[in-house]
Amino acid sequence: MYLLGLTLRNQQLVTVAVVLFSFLTYAAWRSSHADVAAAGQRLEDSESDEAGQALRGLGAMRRLSAQRIFEDGEIEIELRVQNKSRFPKTVEVRDKVPEVMRMKKGSNYVLMDLGPRRETTIEYTLECPLRGFYSIGPVCVRIQDTFGLFHKEKELHVYDDFLIFPKMEDLKDTFVKSKVPKIFTGAVQIRNPGPGTEFFSLREYIEGDTFKQINWSAYARSGKLMVNERERDAVSDIILIIDARAVSETGPVARNSLVSSTRAAASLARYFLNRRDSVGLVIYGDEVISVDRDTGKKQLYSLLTKLAGAQARGETPLRVVINRLLPHINRGSPIIFLSCLEDDPTIVDSLRDFRARNFDVTVLAPSSADFEFDAKRIDKVGFEVLKTERNVLINELRGLGVHVCDWEADMLLSTALAGARGF
Amino acid sequence: MAAAPPPGPPGGGIDIYRKEVRSSAPSRKKAAGSMKSDSIIPEDAIPEVHIPGFIESLLGGPVVHRQKYLKPDGMVRNLQLLSYIVLGGLGILTYIVNPPDGTVWRTLAPSSGLATLMHTLVIFGAILIGGIGIMRRTPQSLLISYALFIFASLRFTSSDITLAVLSNEAMFQSERVKEMLVIGYAVSLVLFFELSNGVLRFSMLDTSIRTNEVYVMNIKRVVSKYRRSLILNPLIAATFAWFALTMNEIIPAIVSIFSDDAGERLRESVELGSVYGVALGTVMVFLVIGGVFALDVPGRLATMRERNS
Repeated sequence: MYLLGLTLRNQQLVTVAVVLFSFLTYAAWRSSHADVAAAGQRLEDSESDEAGQALRGLGAMRRLSAQRIFEDGEIEIELRVQNKSRFPKTVEVRDKVPEVMRMKKGSNYVLMDLGPRRETTIEYTLECPLRGFYSIGPVCVRIQDTFGLFHKEKELHVYDDFLIFPKMEDLKDTFVKSKVPKIFTGAVQIRNPGPGTEFFSLREYIEGDTFKQINWSAYARSGKLMVNERERDAVSDIILIIDARAVSETGPVARNSLVSSTRAAASLARYFLNRRDSVGLVIYGDEVISVDRDTGKKQLYSLLTKLAGAQARGETPLRVVINRLLPHINRGSPIIFLSCLEDDPTIVDSLRDFRARNFDVTVLAPSSADFEFDAKRIDKVGFEVLKTERNVLINELRGLGVHVCDWEADMLLSTALAGARGF
Repeated sequence: MAAAPPPGPPGGGIDIYRKEVRSSAPSRKKAAGSMKSDSIIPEDAIPEVHIPGFIESLLGGPVVHRQKYLKPDGMVRNLQLLSYIVLGGLGILTYIVNPPDGTVWRTLAPSSGLATLMHTLVIFGAILIGGIGIMRRTPQSLLISYALFIFASLRFTSSDITLAVLSNEAMFQSERVKEMLVIGYAVSLVLFFELSNGVLRFSMLDTSIRTNEVYVMNIKRVVSKYRRSLILNPLIAATFAWFALTMNEIIPAIVSIFSDDAGERLRESVELGSVYGVALGTVMVFLVIGGVFALDVPGRLATMRERNS
C-alpha cells in the first residue's frame, strides 16, 4: 500500500500505510517480538529453549488421578501454572490431550491473567473411550498482543503417561471347555466323568459308590439304583490369539475389528482366570507378541497391558504364528482366535492344522464390512459382495469343525460366543 | 419298565424332567438388535475431516474461516456499536479526503457526474457491506468492505492533499487541517479494521467460553487491557504518522540550526513538500524503530527489569 501510494503519488494512501505500519510496529513492540527483527528467526526455531522474555518465568506441574484406567473411565487432571516473574502476564494455556479423549468437565484451554509470582490451578476431567498408552502434554503457553496480531508460543515439556485397558464384559459362561484333563483339579469341566461339581450323567450303581452319589428320584422311577456322575474339573490352558494386522483397523477409529477383539480378549481373560484357568495370549501384526500361560490376577494385568498396547500394523500371516505356537501348547487346549478373517490366504490351512491336532478352536470374527457399512463408507452392493465372500469363508471353516461366529457390530460377546458354540 | 415322566406341576412350576431342545442357536440377529454392548462412540468424539478445495489447496488453507457464533454478549454488542460509529465516521472521512479525480472510474466514465456517482457508490457500498458484516459477524463481508475502502482511495493525485468537499471552506484551506483530516481518516480506517476484527475475535472467544471449549480466568482484566489498547494504539499510530507527515517541516527546522539558507531552501523544496517528503519522513522514523528492534531493545529492557526484580 505504501509503495502503491508512492507510485500513485497519493498522500492519503501513504498516510494510511504509515498508520497501519505504525499500528503493527507498536503491537509487535508490546508483544516483545523484537527477536524476529534481531535474529532473523523465531526463537522457537532456534536452539535456545527460551521463547523470549515474555514467556520466561512460566512453569507448570501436573497431577493425574490415576495411572491405569479402563475404557470409558474418567481421569482427573490438575495442572498448576506458575508465574515466577514479577510482572503480570496474560497467557493462553493449553494442556495437550490425546485427540480421542473427550472433555467431561472443565477445560484444558484457559485464557488467564496471571499476577506476578502467582500460581493458579486448572482442573479438568477427561473421558477415555479407547484403550492404549497415552501421554498428556506438553503444556503450550501463548502470549499475544491485545489485537491478536502477534503471538509468542512456548511448550513446557511436562508429560504424564497413563494406560487405558480395554473394557470388559461380564460373562456368565463361555461354553469353552478343554477335552484334556490336567494334573491339577480346578473349576473347569472337561467333559469326562470324574471328581467335580457339575452333573454329567446317570449310571447304574456299582460297588464302591457312596450313598451320597445315589440319585433317589431316578431309583424311584426306574427301580434300579442309579448314581449321579459328575464332570471332571481341571485347569485348562486357554490360548487367545488376536489378529492385529493393519487390516484389523478397517472401520471407524472406535469401532473396528481390533477394538472389538481386544475388548473380547480382556473379557475372556478375566473370565478364564477367575475360573483358575491358565490363559496365554498371542497378538500378531508386524511382529508376534506373546504372553506365556499363567494364572492369577498378575497375569490378568499382564494380558491387559499387552492388549492396551496392541496396534494395528503389518501383515504377518496366521501360518507363521501357528508354526511358532504349535510346539508350545498342549494338544486339545481350547484356542480362541479373534480376527476379521480378511486378507490372509493362510487362515483356512492354519485352522485346519489346529483341528487336525484336535484343538478346540473358536473363532470370533468381528465383521469389518459391518463397521464400514454402518459408517457409510461402503455402499450396499459392496457390502453385500463382502458379506457373501465372508460367508463362504466362514462356512468353509465351519466345515473343518471350527466354531465360528460372524460377530456383528453391537452384538454382545456372550451372545457371540453362544452363537459360535451353537447354543 | 421306566415310569412315564410325571405331568408338569400345576400352577406353572418348573418341570425339571422336561427338557426343551433347541433346534438352532438363538437368534443372534435379534439379540444384536435388542442387546447393546454400549460400544458406540458418540459422533462428536469423531473428528470431522475437511477436505480443502482447489483454491484452498493453492493458498494453503481457507481465505476466511466460516464459523457460527452464539448470540452476541454485552462485550460484542458494545464492539459492534463502536464499529458502526467508526464505520460511519470513516465513510464520511473517506468521502471528504478521496475525491473521484484520478480514480479508475473517472478515467473510464464519460462524464465527471457519472464518475462521482460511481465513486459515491463504491464508498456507500463499503459502508453498507461493512455494516452488514458487523451485524452478521461475517468475515467475508468485512473483507469486501476493507477492499472497497482501499479501492476508493486508489487514485492518481498531484501530491497535494485535495478534498472532495469542503475545500472552499476557510477552515479547510490550511494544510495542517488537511493533514489532520488525512491522519484522522487513516486512523479511523485502521481502527475500523481492528474493531470489526475485534467483533469476530470476541464473538469467537465468547462462543468458545459458552461451549466450554475455553475457560477464561479474570476476564475483566483481559477486556480492560483490550479497551486500553483500543485507545492507546491508534493514538500512538497517529503520532508516528504525524511525525512522518510533518518531516518536511522537521528536517528544514533541524537544518536551519546549522544553516538558515539551507533550511529555507529545504522549506521551499517541492519534493520535500510532496509525497516523497512523506516517504523520506517515514523512512527516517522507521529507521529509528528498526534500529531499536535490531538491537532487541524491548527484550533487553524486559531482561533488565526481570534481573532487577
